[in-house]
Amino acid sequence: MPTYKLTYFNVRGRGELIRLLFAAGGIPYEDVRIEWDKWPELKSKTPMGQVPTLEVDGQLMICQSMAIARFVAREAGLLGKTSVDQARADMLLDGGMDLGKLFTEMVMEKDASKKAEKKKEFGEKSLPPFLALYEGFAGGNGYFVGDSLTWADIAFFNMMDFITAEYPSALDGYCNLNKVVDNVKTNPGVAKWLKERPVTDH
Amino acid sequence: MAPKYKFTYFDVRARGEPTRLLFAAAGVEYEDVRVRRDDWAALKPTMPMGQLPILEVDGVTLCQSMTIARFVARETGMDGKTKLERAQADAFVDELEDLVPKLAMAMIFTTDENEKAEKVKELDKAIAEKLGKCEKLSGPDGHLVGNSMLWCDLVLYNIAYDIEEVYKSGTLQDYPKLAKVYDTVRSDPRIAKWIAERPAGQFNI
Repeated sequence: MPTYKLTYFNVRGRGELIRLLFAAGGIPYEDVRIEWDKWPELKSKTPMGQVPTLEVDGQLMICQSMAIARFVAREAGLLGKTSVDQARADMLLDGGMDLGKLFTEMVMEKDASKKAEKKKEFGEKSLPPFLALYEGFAGGNGYFVGDSLTWADIAFFNMMDFITAEYPSALDGYCNLNKVVDNVKTNPGVAKWLKERPVTDH
Repeated sequence: MAPKYKFTYFDVRARGEPTRLLFAAAGVEYEDVRVRRDDWAALKPTMPMGQLPILEVDGVTLCQSMTIARFVARETGMDGKTKLERAQADAFVDELEDLVPKLAMAMIFTTDENEKAEKVKELDKAIAEKLGKCEKLSGPDGHLVGNSMLWCDLVLYNIAYDIEEVYKSGTLQDYPKLAKVYDTVRSDPRIAKWIAERPAGQFNI
């Protein structure tokens, strides 16, 4: 089996989806977390001057968080069974990332009154239509694609983990989406990781 | 018999052109549906995520431009020869695709003069940063990854076309490996035929 080394900051951020996928797939990997002050010297050694990066067999370094996540999802058998299933998972993830961008913009806003405005707007204008749409995409069995867990479910769970920290009751009333979250949380690898993972602010 | 694939997008290149280039490169027939700006409002609510492009195949409707491009790349064997090649191709696309909306905003859709100057500044910075990174990682022989034309080459070609032919000709001189990829793509016979014959589009983007 190849050896994997994931390098990222000591936060969940853009690395957590990858860590969840390794966990769900039961794939061992080295979870390297670098401190901010070590970053400048490491930066030039990465392909695109960014983390996360994934080293495979001590050689090839892959960058771009979603490219890495897709690669790990494939290794974990969580990509989707057919080509069309895989595309469906991809598209749901892409849609989620569009929402994630807006959320991150809001969280990173430094001006307090602008942030309050953005938070209200996100909570009232962006989040509800997205959740209503995705409630329709999710099956009654709690899977976004077919009848088994894929990385689309795990990515949704991870994103809602961040969003419910700011909007605790966001998922109230969404039967299918709550089932998706449950299916992810009760996956044995994920359950173990959620219990053991370092606690970080974001 | 109707083609297996029906691709619907606006009448522009932008986020839809990589998929059209893939179909062309692979010689695969498809229905190329173009929506004019005025017709969009009525159509929007019928789309799965309220956006274009969509791809209809086997009774399923896919959305999200890069998902569709990756799917068609997979169908036509242009996504990468190995898992690692696929991941590297993905990484190039992830890095480059931000340039598409930036090009559109700076070149066409911003009318206010001051705002446009801002957008142009932002675009120039993004071009230098992203093409710089890709130049560093690109293969030396006219392919970004490995030794065959993959979908990431077509994504680069599409963006480089806008930069070279519409925005600032001569930019690619600073990026010799990327310039080789650009040349390799546009001299592929099927792609050259498509470029010569494709509709001009509602906007030159």
